[in-house]
Amino acid sequence: MANSNLPRRIIKETQRLLSEPAPGISASPSEDNMRYFNVMILGPTQSPYEGGVFKLELFLPEEYPMAAPKVRFLTKIYHPNIDKLGRICLDILKDKWSPALQIRTVLLSIQALLSAPNPDDPLSENIAKHWKSNEAEAVETAKEWTRLYASDA
Amino acid sequence: MGSKVSDHHLSTVRSIVGSEFSDMEIIRALHMAKNDVNAAINIILDTHTAPRFNPTRPNNQLSVSPPKPSPSTPIVTKPSFSEQRIDNNSDDWWLVNCGEMTGLSTCKGRSINSGETVIFKFPTKKLSSPFTGKGFGRAAACSEIVRFSTEQAGEIGRIPKEWARCLLPLVRDHKVRIEGNCKFAPQVLGIMDSIILSVSVFINSSMFAKHHQVSLKDAANSTDESVFHPLPTLFRLLGLNPFKEAELTPGDFYSNKRPLSEKVTLPRAKFEHPSQNGNENDNEESISEIEVENIVGVGSSEELEEMDPPANLQCNLRPYQKQALYWMIQMEKGKCMDETATTLHPCWEAYHLADKRELIIYLNAFSGEATIEFPSTLQMARGGILADAMGLGKTIMTISLLVAHSGKGESVGNQPIAKSFTEVGEVSDNVHTFSNIPKKATKFSGFDKPTKQMNSLTSGGNLIICPMTLLGQWKAEIETHVHLGSLSLYVHYGQSRPKDAKSLAHNDVVITTYGILASEFSSENADDNGGLFSIRWFRVVLDEAHTIKSSKSQVSVAAAALIADRRWCLTGTPIQNSLEDIYSLLRFLRIEPWGHWAWWNKLIQKPFEGGDERGLKLVQSILKPIMLRRTKHSTDREGKPILVLPPADMQVIYCEQTKAEKDFYGALFKRSKVKFDQFVEQGRVLHNYASILELLLRLRQCCDHPFLVMSRGDTQDFADLNKLAKRFLRGTYNALDGEVKEAPSRAYVQEVVEELRKGEQGECPICLEAFEDAVLTPCAHRLCRECLLASLRNATSGVCPVCRKAVNRQDLITAPTENRFQVDIEKNWVESCKVTALLNELQNLRSSGSKSIVFSQWTAFLDLLQIPFARNNISFVRLDGTLNLQQREKVIKQFSEDSTTLVLLMSLKAGGVGINLTAASNAFVMDPWWNPAVEEQAVMRIHRIGQTKKVAIKRFIVKGTVEERMEAVQARKQRMISGALTDQEVRSARIEELKMLFT
Repeated sequence: MANSNLPRRIIKETQRLLSEPAPGISASPSEDNMRYFNVMILGPTQSPYEGGVFKLELFLPEEYPMAAPKVRFLTKIYHPNIDKLGRICLDILKDKWSPALQIRTVLLSIQALLSAPNPDDPLSENIAKHWKSNEAEAVETAKEWTRLYASDA
Repeated sequence: MGSKVSDHHLSTVRSIVGSEFSDMEIIRALHMAKNDVNAAINIILDTHTAPRFNPTRPNNQLSVSPPKPSPSTPIVTKPSFSEQRIDNNSDDWWLVNCGEMTGLSTCKGRSINSGETVIFKFPTKKLSSPFTGKGFGRAAACSEIVRFSTEQAGEIGRIPKEWARCLLPLVRDHKVRIEGNCKFAPQVLGIMDSIILSVSVFINSSMFAKHHQVSLKDAANSTDESVFHPLPTLFRLLGLNPFKEAELTPGDFYSNKRPLSEKVTLPRAKFEHPSQNGNENDNEESISEIEVENIVGVGSSEELEEMDPPANLQCNLRPYQKQALYWMIQMEKGKCMDETATTLHPCWEAYHLADKRELIIYLNAFSGEATIEFPSTLQMARGGILADAMGLGKTIMTISLLVAHSGKGESVGNQPIAKSFTEVGEVSDNVHTFSNIPKKATKFSGFDKPTKQMNSLTSGGNLIICPMTLLGQWKAEIETHVHLGSLSLYVHYGQSRPKDAKSLAHNDVVITTYGILASEFSSENADDNGGLFSIRWFRVVLDEAHTIKSSKSQVSVAAAALIADRRWCLTGTPIQNSLEDIYSLLRFLRIEPWGHWAWWNKLIQKPFEGGDERGLKLVQSILKPIMLRRTKHSTDREGKPILVLPPADMQVIYCEQTKAEKDFYGALFKRSKVKFDQFVEQGRVLHNYASILELLLRLRQCCDHPFLVMSRGDTQDFADLNKLAKRFLRGTYNALDGEVKEAPSRAYVQEVVEELRKGEQGECPICLEAFEDAVLTPCAHRLCRECLLASLRNATSGVCPVCRKAVNRQDLITAPTENRFQVDIEKNWVESCKVTALLNELQNLRSSGSKSIVFSQWTAFLDLLQIPFARNNISFVRLDGTLNLQQREKVIKQFSEDSTTLVLLMSLKAGGVGINLTAASNAFVMDPWWNPAVEEQAVMRIHRIGQTKKVAIKRFIVKGTVEERMEAVQARKQRMISGALTDQEVRSARIEELKMLFT
């Protein structure tokens, strides 16, 4: 039902995501709802998340591409811009969304966010505070969490 | 069930024992009591009594004790807390009334005797609770519990919720205080026993001193429509009834039992009118004017006195203009306040307090605001709306006012009017005195910017704000009509305009544009360098005041933020699109409380939209005393029309398309209809409103001339690739001069142009398909036209989806494609049926030397018209939005004075307002516009004072096309625009309407 009237743009994006996936990212649509994607992002090298496999969910709302996709981390992650519910603080998912962006670019942006946490625009106050007061320690915690929750997916 | 403590139990217990106890304590008690709530409460209260009355924990509780007995009124109270924080000077406290309430016991085994004084304890601020979610709600709920105790027994019980709810905020702010004693109670108290208390409530006079600022701010900031208003509720609980009730109360509007038949008579009247009016050609004007009249009413102005203009005015005023002068002078004096001072504002009710000193308090039934000043609709306004219909000479009436009475703002000492005004205020009513108006003006809240201290403002003269097109005219009219040297005049416009307040204030009259106003408002924040907002104006006049109609627009906010002693709105169309337009005017005029959206919305907008005619009635009653509106049909005392203009002949010329045109139109229509039907099928008509309007636009343009569609609305210049490249590169080049700031890099542009040249087929970044009808943004990004338009935030502008640079719709360039049908309009020139008809008309007029204006909404059509004009040796000038002020003035001058220039080509929007073009006696409206008011306004440029010849107005409609349908829709549209329909109705009406167009 939900898939019968899928816009061509979504079909096209899906095909491209499957045929030429971005490095370190996999996204595949759910079988019963083509607007729902299971996403995996590898922790970028030289980041505290290296070696981790992070699961996310991504949903394309009815208005897509005029409205941003909804994305959420399913894997627990210690990151100042991601809260404990997995919600992500990223401008392009909110007011800076543009219909010229795609699922691929969104996921690449999230991957980049893992490489470059931004404690000045935090979603998780505590983690951000930790990050700013003692970055080395915060990075250790992030590594620990990666080991605990994001390994061996 | 187990021993799990439910949230429900927890909150029940908490509501009785209060917030001092932690969740853990309550849960423990519930466990011990095996979830029996009563038992748990007892456990808690029995084990914890002592600390709860320990005065060393004042951070949680603010104690409000009974007042010290004033010498004359020996009330037996014994203050039990040392921290007396309220000044109990009995002059400040007024007894509101005595009443009874039923308290609930929260103790067991204690006792209270009748007559025993009770002490009320109010919790302090909301607990800054660390919990979120559920927990917070609970904490907030118990922070509203008001307890009472006696000296002997300690805490006895709590007062009922509805009392607590209205007392709490008032007591917290020290606006109200309560004392009471026990009237009746059971011998020995048990939990939840009733205790009858008799209470006396006192109100502090500070409530009235500050209320304006406080409550207005609340109203302005609050978007919540069901704000709880403690004071009226308290009065009700105390059994205090108004001796004069508000005509309008919130209840009136909240009850939705209105019979449908009452639904606004407005649309019906409007619909009936055209049929009654035999003269079909007159309909255009009537519809909108009638509508305005329905909403705002036409003043019975015959009785107004006349006032002779001062000798400095070199112009004879007509009698009705003298009336206007008299009226305006009176309005500025505030005379009308006398008249309305005797009637209570419809939203306020009056109460006699029980206090012996016989104070009357006025309460606003909507806002809960309280005052002891008599509230009248006119409290703050000096000025009003001069809404005479177009062509009656609002400009000259205003000029006569400027001459008759001018001065500098706020120099009260040598300010005859300001002075007389305050005197009038003082004697006008013995109940109250008007507070200092100028001071209040600064308190006008909701705007942060004009919060400067009044004394830092320079006193200025008159400020006139008008659309750019009218600057020259205002200047010219003042110069011709005012005796040389009696008013100094300065046009505040252009890049190099001085910002220095002194030099601005030094002139008697400063004229500026809405654009300057808005830009100085926004830049003012950055550096406080003076400009229009650093002056306290003697008078501000908004010409074409409907310019500020959208209340959220920068210009509207800016206008409202101006500081002035007198405010005037000039507009022939006080309502252009919706009732909301009035709101902005009232806000600018400071007609309180209507300048606050929450109130306007609640009392007028919502009821009106909901079909409650009282919303409309209220607007009328607000407007009646502040607005003067006469139309050309108004009559004077003897019943003669106030203004005799030469007759205007309105005519519609129906054109018949040629075979070729018809075929082309037919094909285009079919294509559009297929698309439209798709939208209908998907039920996504309103989602695709922009694209549908675009489809209609093409069809309408095709009615003017098929070339317009072939060139896709963009000027023909750009269809050629090389020219396109040149334009882009020029744009980049200009960037070096700083003219075009945000141009793409030269290299990028070259690449894009090269790509286009090679005909490379890219894909649209939005639909990911091959481009369909590609357009280029000024930042050189290529997208499908429809994709881009759909992504724009509104119909005319937005940001580029690729780079987020600002994009205006008119800046888009159609990218050329291989298979595009291109025409060289010069070489292949063909006349469309409309062009032929127009040329015929102009040829007929040529010999008479009579001048004509040709209106179109599309400048591209004006471009096209220049070809046959040149070929037929018709000399013309052109006025459109691209001209700057000097160029405009030059064009108007040439058209008015040069006898060989017979035609003025004018874009409907650019030249719509204010310009006086009475040199012409013919107007040709080439294409129908959605809103007849815009058309009407344009046409009225020639049919106005100064016109000596018979006027002919001809509108062109192509038969059997979308234009004909539009005529029908225009009438419906009016109804929709006027807000007479509810949201749902508007939605379905819109769809209906669009369907009508595609039949």
